[in-house]
Amino acid sequence: MMPRAIVVPPLPRGRCRMEKREESASGFRKETVNKILQLHFKDDKTRVSSDALLLMAEMLNVFVREASARGARQAQAEDLDRVDIEHVEKVLPQLLLDF
Amino acid sequence: PRGRWAGDSGSAGRGREQAARAMEPEGEQERERLLHSQRLKAAVHYTVGCLCQEVAEDKGIQFSKQTIAAISEITFRQCEVFAKDLEMFARHGKRTVINSEDVKLLARRSNSLLRYITQKSEELALNNLEQKERKKKKSSTAKGKRTSDEQVEVMAESEDSNMA
Repeated sequence: MMPRAIVVPPLPRGRCRMEKREESASGFRKETVNKILQLHFKDDKTRVSSDALLLMAEMLNVFVREASARGARQAQAEDLDRVDIEHVEKVLPQLLLDF
Repeated sequence: PRGRWAGDSGSAGRGREQAARAMEPEGEQERERLLHSQRLKAAVHYTVGCLCQEVAEDKGIQFSKQTIAAISEITFRQCEVFAKDLEMFARHGKRTVINSEDVKLLARRSNSLLRYITQKSEELALNNLEQKERKKKKSSTAKGKRTSDEQVEVMAESEDSNMA
């Protein structure tokens, strides 16, 4: 895998499990994502479709997993067993460029 | 107590906001907005904590509390960027409702991310189709229906043109 590729989990086969997965595993909930986005819209009339909300929740899940995984890799590269702020700071620029 | 935050405000909160706006000066409205965003930040912080915990277990490493807080802050700020971009994309398409195509556009910078989001989007579309199928089967009597496989294929093609 290329160093800059985003590490995503293998997709489950068959039926869509995104909505069910929200309840049993961790990750962003649809309503939370909706409220956060609504906070920043300039126009009151702007809405988000249900599918788009689910996709955005996935997007945020990937963002957080990527940030933490890259921070962890950085800490491990420095031979440490704890991820501290400076490790996140080091990986932050590339993370933001990739998103 | 997952998800308590998400349901917290809502119609009660909105009612309160409207009353505040009608009777009291701007300050009250600002305080409400601040409280609201603080609640959301807390919700984000909780979810970030859960996700980092998974990564920690996966990699056999620990995250300091400050790290989780930092990632949480970064994520919350990134949401502002996402929200504004999404709104602009929809407006560019002369729409007020943000859809899946807008989200895919948001994911364009990384090939692997775009592929992932596109696949998730297709999964969702398929799921929606299956749900429609189930509703149709319930409401109509099953008479000479084609196999569900064939029907899904036929509908998937027309769904594509409706996607945008």
